[in-house]
Amino acid sequence: MKHPDEAALALHAGGDLAFFARWRMERHLTRCERCREEVTAFCDLREMLADLSEPPDLPWRQMAAEMRANIRLGLAAGECVRAGDRPLREHPLFTGARAAVAMAGMAALLVTGMMLERPAPSLSAEGLVVRHTANGIEESDGSQAFRLMNRGAQNVTYSVGGRSVSARYVDSDDGVTINRVYAE
Amino acid sequence: MTTRAAVWLLAGGLWGAASALAQDIPLARNSIRVELPPNAPVSVISMDSDQSRVTARGAGIQLDLDMSLTLRNSSPSRIRGITLRVISQEAVPGGKGSVTKPSLNVGQGETFTVPIQLQLMRPTQLAAGPLVQVDLDGVLFQDLSFYGSDKLNSRRYLTACEMEAERDREYFKRVLTAAGKEGLKKEMLESLARQSELPALDVRVRPGGGPAVASAALPPEHETQFAFLQFPDSPVEPLQGWARIALNEARAPQIEVRNKSSKPVRYVEFGWVVSDPAGRQYMAGSVPSSGSPLDVLLPGSRATVRQDSALKFSANGQPVNIQKMTGFINQVEFSDGKVWVPNRQSLENPLLRKVLAPSAEEQRLTTIYRRKGLDALVAELSKF
Repeated sequence: MKHPDEAALALHAGGDLAFFARWRMERHLTRCERCREEVTAFCDLREMLADLSEPPDLPWRQMAAEMRANIRLGLAAGECVRAGDRPLREHPLFTGARAAVAMAGMAALLVTGMMLERPAPSLSAEGLVVRHTANGIEESDGSQAFRLMNRGAQNVTYSVGGRSVSARYVDSDDGVTINRVYAE
Repeated sequence: MTTRAAVWLLAGGLWGAASALAQDIPLARNSIRVELPPNAPVSVISMDSDQSRVTARGAGIQLDLDMSLTLRNSSPSRIRGITLRVISQEAVPGGKGSVTKPSLNVGQGETFTVPIQLQLMRPTQLAAGPLVQVDLDGVLFQDLSFYGSDKLNSRRYLTACEMEAERDREYFKRVLTAAGKEGLKKEMLESLARQSELPALDVRVRPGGGPAVASAALPPEHETQFAFLQFPDSPVEPLQGWARIALNEARAPQIEVRNKSSKPVRYVEFGWVVSDPAGRQYMAGSVPSSGSPLDVLLPGSRATVRQDSALKFSANGQPVNIQKMTGFINQVEFSDGKVWVPNRQSLENPLLRKVLAPSAEEQRLTTIYRRKGLDALVAELSKF
């Protein structure tokens, strides 16, 4: 038989396991004396620690009771405000119209997110041009562009000659690199 | 299937689709084709493109090619420069670029690396097959001989870079001989200070010499004449020139020149400085004699250099309206393939010192000084 580890037993003793894990743990405990004893020991220890750590001047239990009461009151008030005796969920969660609205909203959110995350760079609308950009030189025409980049380069010298632009820099191995694009 | 189950399935599908769209995926290795001729003086040793990705960007996709190409010099001559063509099959139709490595000093059997960082934006999905082709446009050797298809005029460009490099190395060697390490250090510091003070100008180039759109609301354009800086040793003399100006856009610049040398000339390139109404000056670019060589300009004859494009200027996000333009001869290629570049004395002109970036070689040497110190710079100069 495979036994749960100590951490899982301790969580179970504190009632902190999720639903499915708790169900599996309870099934195991019905068949395993050893783990039942472990859980009992953890429960005893928790009670002992709770007694030790509770500050005498703070009425924790009273405060918890008041909070529970307030929550109950809030729920009750909500029930009064709600018209009639309608249940919390009268219709299924997803009807046709709601589903359509939800899907449209989700699609809009996804598309907007993608556009914001990865914006298409603004390209010239004045036909074919060559120019230098922040990290390189480009030939662009509408939504298409051809760029030679000089990322990471310092002291880049840009120049224009006829129908071309060029970028010149000294690369990491102390050699000069000259990129050029042509408007042709 | 119940309505509830169908809704959950739909939501899951949407979520999955969104996740798939938002993902970065590695770029397939067969998306890049590197082609070198069988008799090329360089061979591919390795190609590292592991960091290359394809990413969904809004409605389109973005391809990030981060490649490092290691090449070996398989020729007996020292390589001084190389240009690789980078051509997109899929992005901007005819999207074309180049990566040049000037100022090399690579002997037989030695290797060097060419970094290629390419980004393509497309509105739709990628097609199968290679997206990017890299091939060899040209290799320049120590004796200024050249190998390659030269579709991008690399021969002239690499030769000009090498002429400037020789000029600047010789200058710094003379400084070292005459003024010692302290003199060289002073030169380096002055150059670095000048580089950091160069005014930045954003220039947008559009093919064609007309306005971007036809509209009655466009600002009126007028012709503005070039003023010229004259270099005594220049083989070509600028006579007159003008461009059509509309606020911060200059269109179709053209300059009349005369060949005052004894050799035929096939290419002339002008440097172009613009001034704004507040008197601030910027290096606007260069005006080449179009994309192709001039009809040969015989000694004593005249021709007009034209550039059929429009340049729009801005700085720090604000338009730079053009008040005045100054031109100077920046490069001349003779019909025998030799190239003239201005000497250091000509470049000492106060205007050019304020706006003109140093040569690629001076930028490289000052970077070596900044990164590794004076002794490393002296050692580098002694290699040439």
